[in-house]
Amino acid sequence: MRMLNNVEAIETLIVGELLEGSGRNKLDPEESLISSGILDSLSLLRLVAKLEEDFDTTVEDGELIPNNFESISRIAAFLDRKRGG
Amino acid sequence: MAYLLHHLLTESAARFPDKEALRFEGQGMTYASLDSSTNQVARVLRRLGMAPGDRIGIYLHKSAASVVGVFGIMKAGGTYVPLDPNAPPKRLAHIIRNSGVKIVLTSGQKLRGVAEIVKEGSPLEALVMMDDQPSSRSSPDGLPRLIPWSQVCTEDRRPVTSEGVIENDLAYILYTSGSTGEPKGVMVSHRTLFTFINWCSKEFNMDSNDRVTSHAPLQFDLSTFDIYVTIKAGGTVIIVPENLSVFPERLADLLESEAVTVTYLVPSILSMMVNYGKLSGRKFSALRRILFAGEVFPIKYLRALVAAIPHVTYYNLFGPTETNVCAFYKVQQKDISAECTDPVPIGIACENMQVFAVDEKGDLVDTPGTAGELWVRGSGVAQGYWGDGQKTAMNFVRNPFQNCRDEIAYRTGDIVKLDNDGVNWRYVGRRDHMIKSRGYRIELGEIESVLYTHKRVKEVAVVAIPDELVGNRIKAYVVLLEGNGLTAKDLETHCSSSLPRYMVPEWIELCSDLPKTSTGKINRPLLAQT
Repeated sequence: MRMLNNVEAIETLIVGELLEGSGRNKLDPEESLISSGILDSLSLLRLVAKLEEDFDTTVEDGELIPNNFESISRIAAFLDRKRGG
Repeated sequence: MAYLLHHLLTESAARFPDKEALRFEGQGMTYASLDSSTNQVARVLRRLGMAPGDRIGIYLHKSAASVVGVFGIMKAGGTYVPLDPNAPPKRLAHIIRNSGVKIVLTSGQKLRGVAEIVKEGSPLEALVMMDDQPSSRSSPDGLPRLIPWSQVCTEDRRPVTSEGVIENDLAYILYTSGSTGEPKGVMVSHRTLFTFINWCSKEFNMDSNDRVTSHAPLQFDLSTFDIYVTIKAGGTVIIVPENLSVFPERLADLLESEAVTVTYLVPSILSMMVNYGKLSGRKFSALRRILFAGEVFPIKYLRALVAAIPHVTYYNLFGPTETNVCAFYKVQQKDISAECTDPVPIGIACENMQVFAVDEKGDLVDTPGTAGELWVRGSGVAQGYWGDGQKTAMNFVRNPFQNCRDEIAYRTGDIVKLDNDGVNWRYVGRRDHMIKSRGYRIELGEIESVLYTHKRVKEVAVVAIPDELVGNRIKAYVVLLEGNGLTAKDLETHCSSSLPRYMVPEWIELCSDLPKTSTGKINRPLLAQT
């Protein structure tokens, strides 16, 4: 259940923070945020800051990798692991 | 003797025809191949009726094609105008109109963007496709004439003549944020860039064994080091794909796997690498120099970087786009010792350039510890702003300290002070509202102007909130005209349609009024604190 909520919360966060003005308001949880150009080195930092704030967590050295941030579902799974879920 | 930028390629191609000039996503391109492809691009442009001095747009994501493009344009005698592939069409349409671009080099991936630019009222005559994707082979309705890559490849591979082009002609125009609401185009001649290239080649001992990253986008002048200094040396340009540089760990992987010897990055990327790049245990055995520029490097991250990669020499390079790099400083152990809290100095003038500071009374600063505005003179100073004589005259001014003859010097607007050693300069701040965020130069006034174009906005103040990792983050305070339900989100959307992502405020706060100083001005320092 928490996983599903995370997916929605992350989608809302990305749409609100990174897709403003792009005309897009839906994202597939499996869509690559990298190849679609949604995440770049600027927006990744912005996203990490928001995630740390909203999910009360800290992204550590070695965790900022595609495996954890490639898509919304990857981010959700990563946050779940961080919480020991 | 090379005096036009593309001569550097021709000369290195003659010396090292089979050596790799470029690498992109694991694929290499030899000097001979780069030289002949760029000749073909030049021929296509000439065939399209391009005359020497014409501005040609380049609208591509970073790839081998971007390097082929810039050399092709210059070989045809043209001036290249980089169009940020991630910028809103409205901004690009302005740049195209302002610079008079009629032909654009692009790719299938960007055709939708081209269509939007055309819709914004910037008619183009032709598109030269730099890739051979199915989407790049025919022109959708409403788009200008399209020259497919397959046609470029049928052109004669021999060089075109550069008759009528001299070193004072423009190599490129880079658009930077402008305080009055529209980006301004900094004009750079071949000769101006040669001053920079010659200095770099010597100072950093560049040779044909060097493998240099190309990380910065073309519209950012860090790219000129990556491309031209490396090609002059006969080295290899390692093009960093945009999506790879998103993750610091992958950038660190690339530095190792491509055996990079020299890299030139903005401090925020290096700070990211220190924090998230998992540097411990890596050797970077080929790496010998790390150059950084574009913003202040927070000392704690520089210290951590030096600790993680100790065998490398570090240089702080300094200068606005109008001078490329005008001053430099080689980082020493004493600058990063545990008790140091100040960022490293910006240093001394580069070879064949002179920098000096002028105080409020108009006198030269020569006492350690005193501050003034940094001025630059030398052939490395740009030619002014395209089509804007007024702005050019305000910043590119007669040098009052040159008694013998008239000479132009550039007023940077940067406040610097002479270090206690009486030799090096230290950066203090700006005399205006320009800031840096992630190395990007941003005029807060441009963001304010865009907000003011919204008809329901009454008053605006945009301020920078200092941030250690990225330099600055942007916050806007907006007072609305009475009685409307406009939200912060609506204003964010409004900004995103005109401004590149790095200029869109991260926070927009609606308020009933703005705090004023005793003289009635908006109290920006107070807003920046809250």
